[in-house]
Amino acid sequence: MSEVTDVSEVIAGTVQLQARHLTRHFTTRIPGRGFNGKHVVRAVDDVSLDLVAGEVVAVVGESGSGKSVLARMLARIVRPTSGDLILRGSTIPRKAKRSLAYASQVQLVLQDPFASMNPVHKMRHNLVRPLVIHGAKREDVQALAEAALTRVSLEPPSRFLDRYPHELSGGQLQRVSIARALCIEPRVLLADEPISMLDVSVRLGVLNLLRGLCDNDDLAILYITHDIASARYIADEVIVMYAGQVVEHSRGTILVDEPTHPYTQLLIASVPNPDDPTSVGPPTAEQAQIVIAEKGCRFNPRCPFVMDRCRVEEPPEFIVGENHTSRCWLHADKPQFEVEVALPRRRGEGEITKT
Amino acid sequence: MSTESIEASGVVTSANVTSDVSVVTTTHTDQRTGGPAMGQRILDIRNFSVDYGWGEGAVRAVNNVDLHLNRSTVLGIAGESGSGKSTLVYGFTRLLRAPGVIAGGEALFNLQSEDGTDIIVDLVTASEKELRKVRWSNISVVLQSALSALNPVLRVGTQFEQVLKTHRRDMSKADRRARTVELLALVGLNEDRLRRYPHELSGGQRQRVMIALALALDPQLVIMDEPTTALDVVTQREIISKLFELRSRFGFAMIFITHDLSLLVELADEIVVMYAGEIVERASAQALYDTPRHPYTLGLLNSFPPMHGVRTELTGIPGSPPDLAQLPTGCNFNPRCPYAMERCLKESPSLADLGEDGRSVACWLHSGDAGVVVPVELRRTGKGKREPAPMPVKRDVS
Repeated sequence: MSEVTDVSEVIAGTVQLQARHLTRHFTTRIPGRGFNGKHVVRAVDDVSLDLVAGEVVAVVGESGSGKSVLARMLARIVRPTSGDLILRGSTIPRKAKRSLAYASQVQLVLQDPFASMNPVHKMRHNLVRPLVIHGAKREDVQALAEAALTRVSLEPPSRFLDRYPHELSGGQLQRVSIARALCIEPRVLLADEPISMLDVSVRLGVLNLLRGLCDNDDLAILYITHDIASARYIADEVIVMYAGQVVEHSRGTILVDEPTHPYTQLLIASVPNPDDPTSVGPPTAEQAQIVIAEKGCRFNPRCPFVMDRCRVEEPPEFIVGENHTSRCWLHADKPQFEVEVALPRRRGEGEITKT
Repeated sequence: MSTESIEASGVVTSANVTSDVSVVTTTHTDQRTGGPAMGQRILDIRNFSVDYGWGEGAVRAVNNVDLHLNRSTVLGIAGESGSGKSTLVYGFTRLLRAPGVIAGGEALFNLQSEDGTDIIVDLVTASEKELRKVRWSNISVVLQSALSALNPVLRVGTQFEQVLKTHRRDMSKADRRARTVELLALVGLNEDRLRRYPHELSGGQRQRVMIALALALDPQLVIMDEPTTALDVVTQREIISKLFELRSRFGFAMIFITHDLSLLVELADEIVVMYAGEIVERASAQALYDTPRHPYTLGLLNSFPPMHGVRTELTGIPGSPPDLAQLPTGCNFNPRCPYAMERCLKESPSLADLGEDGRSVACWLHSGDAGVVVPVELRRTGKGKREPAPMPVKRDVS
């Protein structure tokens, strides 16, 4: 199996990890119907994205939108139903087990730092284990663990190595879990809601840390969140997911400033805005219930602009601006461009062109 | 948990509470009976302190807090984890579990009777029997985690049934059922949810069940302890708007605890900001947002990335939340405060009235001392947009 093991220099702007048409369906039983009542939950449906060295891609969506399943598929903890992962140019065989080589390139940081650290071991153990597993020499591990802590601004590292998880604050612990993910020098960091459990005052510190890792060390970061304001703060590219689908996708944060999909508009309207509390109305009761349509656009039961067409046909991704796509029939009449994979192009790959 | 231990230690320690420098904005002195009527005031907390643990190892989680609340108003309590905001509320409602101990102070609750006469109960010294009368019928609490607050093995309907059966003995079964359906309708849930178990509901629905339960007995005061923290923004928005619709309809007072200051600014009338067990700033919501006076409040407000305008790098608040067992000398915030002066390292400031619409702040910068220059971002006046800005770099004062 030819999984990537090269340790060449990472160049900013090169694609590290690509997802192509990733799909994950879960089959559940309908209660009371025995084995006949099967129900398929489309947790992630045909999602494609590129993680690029030196860039942060943010995935925004409410609970149940499939964003965490997406992260777990990218980390190869959850096996996709269909679709491919391409790590630095080589396609990962779908049926293959997650290899150490893959894990050394792609690391996942979870939401709750208290739950993701072994509570009976000191920070030293928590940091040294991945190093040993990934083949660091015994005599180097101390220095590497200290370097990892310094990298996430936990200084002096010696103060933290002999502490237990319960002795650190949430923000410090989340930094340790980022350090743990980074100590084996991965190319891609998947951060699944890394700040939602943290105190407001330390959230920005972690966000700035992620941004810094991206800018200085050319790490490719996937940042998953339900807080669209924090996505706007650090992301180079924003993806909004609803019911397993990408509903809006933009290069830069144009999507936040000029949302085109009704769901993105709803998300933005829901953020507390003390500057102008009257600027947006709260969503109505129907809007706030998560109802996923079986037919047509998945957002149609909650959409304030729903048309007949939305109830029948599922919308494709329409291009609504430069490097900006939206899965909504409202934009069907805009001039369209041909896109194979409806994704913004990378630097140097040329922008989307008219055909 | 033993209630005796709380009461016993409450009695013992209340004697040694040194009520040193606490500025009480209220003027009346006698509390139990007679004295000036509390009138519009529903809750008056004075010199309230809570410890975790006993003796040497005790940690002061809430320190000499004074707080008051008027009828039908919304008080927001903001602060990070460990600031004592939840402990304060569990303390005065006497829901605190060991090793939490009320170390002193009083919490006067005005149980206004139907003809408008004040019946004042000190919740700190009230007996279990008295508390039983107040709890739920007068003060109800909505907890952060609805999944752990609801009984997982009982259907939703049964949980309503039990509350009504216990507190409203005269209700018939049909009445209870009708009331339950009515309550669910209030929070926008369908009757068929009654047959469900808590795990069958979504997070938002569970939280709405909690709110409906809290309102079951028409309380005068509803305490919300981070009711939306576990929910995502859309559900949060919907719960909040529901809550406010209910409040304008029933006119209950509300204490809303959250670490999300931007949410509080939108919904509270008055906000207190807590840090390390003490109130550091108290002001009306809009004033606090437009013109923060305490460096910590300013830092909190600057911790929210803006949704509009240019992307600038923000810093939040440097350092980490305080360890209550090892508080610094002087002002608790001084290790993280960019404006810390020599005095801040030695003396602890107390909450002092600023003379601006009853707002008060605990910070030496506003002590009016000669030679102290208040930084421009902490002495703004008037309304208007306050641009989020990074906190200044911390100076070394020692």
